[in-house]
Amino acid sequence: MQVNFYATLRPIVGGRTVEFDVGEHVTVRQLVGVIVERFPRLRKELLNEDGNLYPHVHVFINGRDAPYLPNGVETVIKPGDTVDIFPAVAGG
Amino acid sequence: MALGGYANRVAHVDLTAGTVEYRGIPEDWARKYVGARGLGVRYMLENGPQVDPLSPDNLLCFMNGPLTGTEANMSGRMAIVTKSPLTGTVTDSHHGGWSAARLRWAGFDGLLVKGKASGPVYLYVHDGIVEIMDASEVWGKGVHDTVKFFRERYGEKDLSVIAIGPAGENLVKFACWVNENDRASGRGGTGCVGGSKLLKAVVIKSAKKMPKAANLDAWKPAQKRALATIMDERNITSPRKGGLSVYGTNVLMNITSAMGALPTKNSTITSFGPSAEKISGEYVKEHILVDDPTCHACPVACKKEVEIKEGPWKGLRMESVEYEPAWSLGANCGNDDINTVAKLIDMCNDYGMDAIELGHPLSIYMEATERGYTNGAGGLAWGDTMAMVEMARKIAMREGIGNVMADGAEATARYFGHPELAMTVKGQGVPAYDPRGLKGMGIAYATSNRGACHLRAYTPAAELGVMPFGSLKVDPLAWKGKGELVKIFQDVHAFSDSLDLCKFSAFAESAEEYAAQYAAMVGVECTAEDVLKIGERIYNLERYYNNLAGFREGSDYLPARFTQEPSTMPGSEGHVCELDEMLAEYYAARGWVNGVVPESKLRELGIID
Ligand code: SF4
Repeated sequence: MQVNFYATLRPIVGGRTVEFDVGEHVTVRQLVGVIVERFPRLRKELLNEDGNLYPHVHVFINGRDAPYLPNGVETVIKPGDTVDIFPAVAGG
Repeated sequence: MALGGYANRVAHVDLTAGTVEYRGIPEDWARKYVGARGLGVRYMLENGPQVDPLSPDNLLCFMNGPLTGTEANMSGRMAIVTKSPLTGTVTDSHHGGWSAARLRWAGFDGLLVKGKASGPVYLYVHDGIVEIMDASEVWGKGVHDTVKFFRERYGEKDLSVIAIGPAGENLVKFACWVNENDRASGRGGTGCVGGSKLLKAVVIKSAKKMPKAANLDAWKPAQKRALATIMDERNITSPRKGGLSVYGTNVLMNITSAMGALPTKNSTITSFGPSAEKISGEYVKEHILVDDPTCHACPVACKKEVEIKEGPWKGLRMESVEYEPAWSLGANCGNDDINTVAKLIDMCNDYGMDAIELGHPLSIYMEATERGYTNGAGGLAWGDTMAMVEMARKIAMREGIGNVMADGAEATARYFGHPELAMTVKGQGVPAYDPRGLKGMGIAYATSNRGACHLRAYTPAAELGVMPFGSLKVDPLAWKGKGELVKIFQDVHAFSDSLDLCKFSAFAESAEEYAAQYAAMVGVECTAEDVLKIGERIYNLERYYNNLAGFREGSDYLPARFTQEPSTMPGSEGHVCELDEMLAEYYAARGWVNGVVPESKLRELGIID
């Protein structure tokens, strides 16, 4: 599965898009677990002490922030879905 | 005046008579409206809301706030306040760098300019005095050469130059003021008002003289606490760690595009797809970034200076590639060439034009061309970079069709016989957030007192979850609660714009930090609730001005494209902006009647007796 990273996350993963070897029926929560296992430095960027995504971190599935999907972070990612992960970003 | 912190000196310049008078600030006004934006609008009200923006009777205010030029973080901001020739509303537009600080160090809270000179002039401000000087040698020059000229005349040290370029001289309706660091008071056509008065520049010479706080014991901890919030790694302001500091404002390009909230090709679609990456902050950093400049007293350094490495503009070094102009002249025009974006922003800085607004007449022309509306008036293709550069010049110089486009988006759309192509509110073009994907921006644009604007109520802070320390996050696609949210943002920002602190302080500081610094600097009691109350008063003062200027019931709207044409892009697909629902909520929170402030509200807030 391809995952796109942005802004300050890119130097940590070493590029824009990274391929992750995950089985079918992987949920957003499971995918994030796989990601932080492969890139341990991401753990403190993405997850709070309880292991939940920070509110300012965005895991988009087809442009929609996972917590707002009907099944939240338990949403199963389908083949062909676009996954984008952003740290806190804003400007104006 | 009993309040500390202020210089308590405002220059009243009459260009018709060639006179300058110096007066203090009415204390009651300082207490009620603070400074910069709030105080400027109070002077505008006194001058009369019915004034023709381009007549000598219009007032042009260069305003500082009580924190400007102090040790307060991000305090290098100046508000230019006037009646806008673009919108017909009162407007204020802020710029950073050091010119505001130098105005304060030269001994002024503000310069109020009225009348019209008999020939081009500039104001030379130094040591507590203002001199009206002949500017005929620099009339016709771009901002960059104007700055060079004054640096040769007065020396570069301790010098600030705020100038208009040819666009202001030619009365382009969205002309602006730009300083020696290419920081612009971009929005609302304040530079056009300068041109109408034959005022070419404000030149300020002053060494650093940090104003002292009235309550020094309270000041130090207040300033330190505010700094700690900016430095905290949990906030995006964190120097060299947070997204704003590392990538600048353009760190937004990819996320707004990915979530279907990037108005693209004149808002016909809500995402620039893979092309967004090519004009993003990440791309800029990797390919053309050469420096991260900053403003007075700011550790964030969000400005992004670039050097073009290839193509027709190879060698151009400029500042700064920001999210707003990169969107306006990039995605909005179907242009994914970052070098051309940088070139066009640099042209805007030199001609003295609002880089956000420029994209609107261009993208309208492009859409009109695509739809076959141009009736033989030539054509402009999406993303035609060379033609965009040439058209920008024609607009600044009012040549050919550029003469029409120089009057703004609505004039351009009318010219092609299709007013619905103008993505404007009260005459001003929308900025870089599509309200079908970030709904708070819809109500913020509609109810902004200066026409479409993202900075009156920066709801993406809550909709993207980047409030200080992650204190609030709301669904960008929900409309419920956004009316009330926008009121709170408008009130807090009206206060910070009156201090005058950079808007990005709000990603770290809360109303408590604003209150503590203000209270210590001027020597009054102030709580977070007072901040909201004063902000509310300022927002209502502006609305009162606009009501008197003719903006009555039904003046708060959005272009139909946002309320009637659903987004077709991922992230916001199928969504329109539910403006009517949000407006009802907003007016209830404000206590307004369909956009008009009732007399009882004006009395309650102490705006009228
Ligand atoms: S955050 Fe950016 S715009 Fe604001 S004061 Fe700092 S450098 Fe200037």
